[in-house]
Amino acid sequence: MGPGRAGRAVAWAYIAALLLFLYVPLAPPLLFSLGGGGEAGTRAGAVTLRWYRQLWDNPLLVGGVQNSLLVGALVGLITPPLALLAAMAVRELRRPRLIVATVLLPLFIPGVSMGLASAFFFRQLGVTPSLLTITTVHVVWALPFAFLIILAVMATFDPMYLEAAYLHGAGRLRAFVDVELPLIRHGILGAAIFSVILSFNETVRTALVQGPNNTVQTYIWSTFLQVGLSPTLYALMSLLIAVTLGLVAVLLLVGARGAVSARGG
Amino acid sequence: MGALQGRVACVARYALLVLPLTFVAGALLVPLGLMFVWSFWERAGFWIRPAFTLASYAEFFAGVRLSVLERSLVVAAGVTLLGLLLAYPIAYFLALRVRRDLARNVLLLFTIPFLVNYIIRTFSWVYLLSRTGPVNRALMAAGVTQRAVDWLLFSDFAVFVGLISSYMPFMIYPLWAALDGLDRRLVEASWLLGASPRVTFLRVTLPLSMPGVFAAVIFGFVGTFGESAVPIILGGVGYQLMGNTITSALDVLNYPLAAAMSSVVVATMLAFLLVWYLAFDLRAVLGKIARWRF
Repeated sequence: MGPGRAGRAVAWAYIAALLLFLYVPLAPPLLFSLGGGGEAGTRAGAVTLRWYRQLWDNPLLVGGVQNSLLVGALVGLITPPLALLAAMAVRELRRPRLIVATVLLPLFIPGVSMGLASAFFFRQLGVTPSLLTITTVHVVWALPFAFLIILAVMATFDPMYLEAAYLHGAGRLRAFVDVELPLIRHGILGAAIFSVILSFNETVRTALVQGPNNTVQTYIWSTFLQVGLSPTLYALMSLLIAVTLGLVAVLLLVGARGAVSARGG
Repeated sequence: MGALQGRVACVARYALLVLPLTFVAGALLVPLGLMFVWSFWERAGFWIRPAFTLASYAEFFAGVRLSVLERSLVVAAGVTLLGLLLAYPIAYFLALRVRRDLARNVLLLFTIPFLVNYIIRTFSWVYLLSRTGPVNRALMAAGVTQRAVDWLLFSDFAVFVGLISSYMPFMIYPLWAALDGLDRRLVEASWLLGASPRVTFLRVTLPLSMPGVFAAVIFGFVGTFGESAVPIILGGVGYQLMGNTITSALDVLNYPLAAAMSSVVVATMLAFLLVWYLAFDLRAVLGKIARWRF
């Protein structure tokens, strides 16, 4: 049974076509950011890096970059421990179904609604919009993804190791730190990188709780709404695509390392 | 001494374990609940004041915004259905016809573009679909059309392209997880009992993958129903879906109306989630991620 060679070829061609459909949009920003001017990105011989240089002359944007880095770092530090605790709660508390559903809930709330509810909430509490409000919303958004990554890695860990540690007199904390943590470390690191990627690439939720603070993404969005797209903006987008793909590469390296150490251990 | 210490440790451990749940409750559930409450308040200058009025809902359901809701439902249903039709064959092929490590690598390829902000990717479609863009040039070069096609951009078509490229990849995973977890012996049994491949698919494989299908529907629907950026970028002037109608209500400081529309969106999603939670087993969608008893 099963499709013949022709059937498989058709299936792979179909997958390749859909991948092309998803990857093609990554190219135009680079094309336009290197162009001599306007939208003439296709004109030959006009390759220039001046739009990239101009980026750094814009204090508003440089501030946005700093904010994005700071928020990204905070999200990368806060989200994985929370996700780890949630994953452990699934294993150790009663009603794991309810816990999974609660932690995954942010995945299912549209961005506008999540941003709006948070913005109103902060305003009613008298909390001024700041990098911390942005960070809070980003952590809520990144938590389900980090949770799923850590859950997947923890599923490869055999709880018998913990039993063994208990039998040797280790307490819960000691057993976790000495036995389980080293084996799931790469999952936690992966969750951190994934959270940073999500934070770097968030616009809709951020735009509603940003107050006067821009991130790189809200800078792009508000500039688009006010004056439209420009070669400088395309240069910025190209940089962001490059940074994101770079982080994905790091994520894959961490994942590959983890797989090797899990097999070796 | 030991007993007290033990109890303190036990309480501390419990507090730590429920911390993430408290966080989601405090930073998401409570704000969403309050948003619903505030949708019954009234406008007061630059903010809102306590009241109990249905004015915002009346404004929503009586005005042109009702057609926005209808259009959003139609677009979200259309994108979800198309996404399902595009994603299911991929998930099926990867789960049942390809070695698992290869399947994982292909799934990874689908993840990578998803990680780049979809707004940046959507800007690219403006160029790709424009009158002088590559798609039109290719169509003209192939002799499909003499003049550039206008309806590619700032149209329903463009919005569909943008939404599908933003949210379809998300739909592949639950489908793959459900199909990957399927008991192959059932398919073999159907084959041994003389069912044709078509009948086997319709009566065995498809019904067993329904938890994944429903999860994929939720993922597709949640993305498109509340989407605010894609219609602004690709829909053209005046193209309204729920998402950007909510943000434009915010722009004119009509906060109760924004809260009311947003509550309708969230209520729709929660209804979907409730059906999913009650009707299907979460494990079927999480696949082998969690081996623990649920």
